[in-house]
Amino acid sequence: MQRYLRIISRFAHNSLARELSFRINFIVTVVSEMLWLAMMLVFVEIIFANTRSVSGWNNHQYLFLLGTHFVISGIFETVFFGNLQRLSELIRTGGLDFVLLKPASPQVLLSFEHVEFSALPNALLGLFLCGYSVHKLGNSVGAAECALFVLLVFSGVVTLYGLMFMFSTSSVWFIRQTSAAHFWFYLTSCAKYPAEIYQPLVRGVLWFALTFVAPVLIVANLPASAVVRGGSFQPWLVAYAVVAAGVILLLSSVLFRWALRWYRSASS
Amino acid sequence: MRKYWCVFRIALADRFVYRADFFVATFLRFTPIITTIALWSAVYAGGDRKLIGNLTYGEMVSYYLVVMIARAFGSMPGLAGGLGHDIRGGELRRFIIQPVNYIVYHLHLRMAHKAVYFVMAAFPYALVFWWCRDYLPGWPAADHWLPSVLTLLLAFFLGFLINMAMGLLSFWFLEVTSFLFIFMVSQYFLSGHQFPLTMLPDWLAPLVTILPFAYETFHPVMIVLGKCDTAEAWRIIGVQCVWIAVLSAVVAFGWKRGLRRYTAFGG
Repeated sequence: MQRYLRIISRFAHNSLARELSFRINFIVTVVSEMLWLAMMLVFVEIIFANTRSVSGWNNHQYLFLLGTHFVISGIFETVFFGNLQRLSELIRTGGLDFVLLKPASPQVLLSFEHVEFSALPNALLGLFLCGYSVHKLGNSVGAAECALFVLLVFSGVVTLYGLMFMFSTSSVWFIRQTSAAHFWFYLTSCAKYPAEIYQPLVRGVLWFALTFVAPVLIVANLPASAVVRGGSFQPWLVAYAVVAAGVILLLSSVLFRWALRWYRSASS
Repeated sequence: MRKYWCVFRIALADRFVYRADFFVATFLRFTPIITTIALWSAVYAGGDRKLIGNLTYGEMVSYYLVVMIARAFGSMPGLAGGLGHDIRGGELRRFIIQPVNYIVYHLHLRMAHKAVYFVMAAFPYALVFWWCRDYLPGWPAADHWLPSVLTLLLAFFLGFLINMAMGLLSFWFLEVTSFLFIFMVSQYFLSGHQFPLTMLPDWLAPLVTILPFAYETFHPVMIVLGKCDTAEAWRIIGVQCVWIAVLSAVVAFGWKRGLRRYTAFGG
């Protein structure tokens, strides 16, 4: 365990050094991420200029949900996104050989090698947005709620990681998966809205599937509900979310090892 | 002309090689429509307004459906980034010494990609449109057919030129990935992909709707949906042509100036 922590911290150190050697690119990346958040805020403002609530979420509750989404996706994009996108490419080009030859868990090496610190401000901005909406709502947030929020954000990141890792691993079967980034885009574009909006569709089947089978809807919704929607928050879902995150993580590891049997190196 | 026909055929074959990838990508592209239907249904239900951004709920869903068609014409995934890659990596020299115009070459490549895309995506599109038929306003009126087809074709050329112009920035900046991200985000909002531009505040709408981005998605969609009369439709097509002329000049000029700066090493 300690050995892996040392490897991960070395990876992070190297990534930071590399990013700081391209300072302007780093700054432009941060600015572009902020632009994305700003555009989303404009969209929310435009929506709430035309309606009072979206499936029971008012303007500031929804801002908190959006903030939570940015916290989770910010952490995910910092640590995992680039790595998982690269995984498809490594499988296609045969570069995976070099990872498999190393005396450490390939999943750890593949998942943590490049940390993209330029995505981290996104998470901080998300946190700021959460703070702003709690202030606007006038809610008091205790230590227990904060702890629950942190736990659920963590399990949300793990859930997304597991799902994305499985998706990238499937490149072993579908060569040239240009769609890994798309998958992430569509995953987040469905998860950043209140889960309740999906309930009326196809008799709730879709909502059920995205909440319990591939639980992307609870990733941001659950921590946000826990803090700003005490009334409609169901504690048993917390247990479910944490267990589901663990199961998905385990599944991703099993799938990866199984998929390696089909991996044929492309290099000669 | 024959060499470009050859490029077209090779690109066609290349697309068919990665079929599984293509189907996954096509399938994924439809998923946001579900979110759109769910979200706007909740938004319309949460207030008392029948019209939001001058659109009814049905029209709002139709708007996003037709946006997908317009994007299928206008979007050029990887074009600007690919050009950046060719410039940075020195791949461009291959084209400079060959009797092929790099830009015309890519235009044919993209036409082939689109041709394959429309053939292979026709069925999923038909299925989704059939599923959403209750929201749709029906087929365009007889005098709207020609403008509808024309505006979508022009959206293709506009999308190509906008992305090409962005890609040419690589001649001046080594690393353009982040610029491209900013461009992508701006395009997503300014073209009317995220929400209809009729929802913008009055002071902002005239500014945004005159940009070429709006002529790539928003205006063509309004024509197809029949939200503007025939005269307005032809006016929009006229402006599209003007933007295409302006951007062609920008691309030609940028290409000429860029090549002077270009250096390639190694062999």
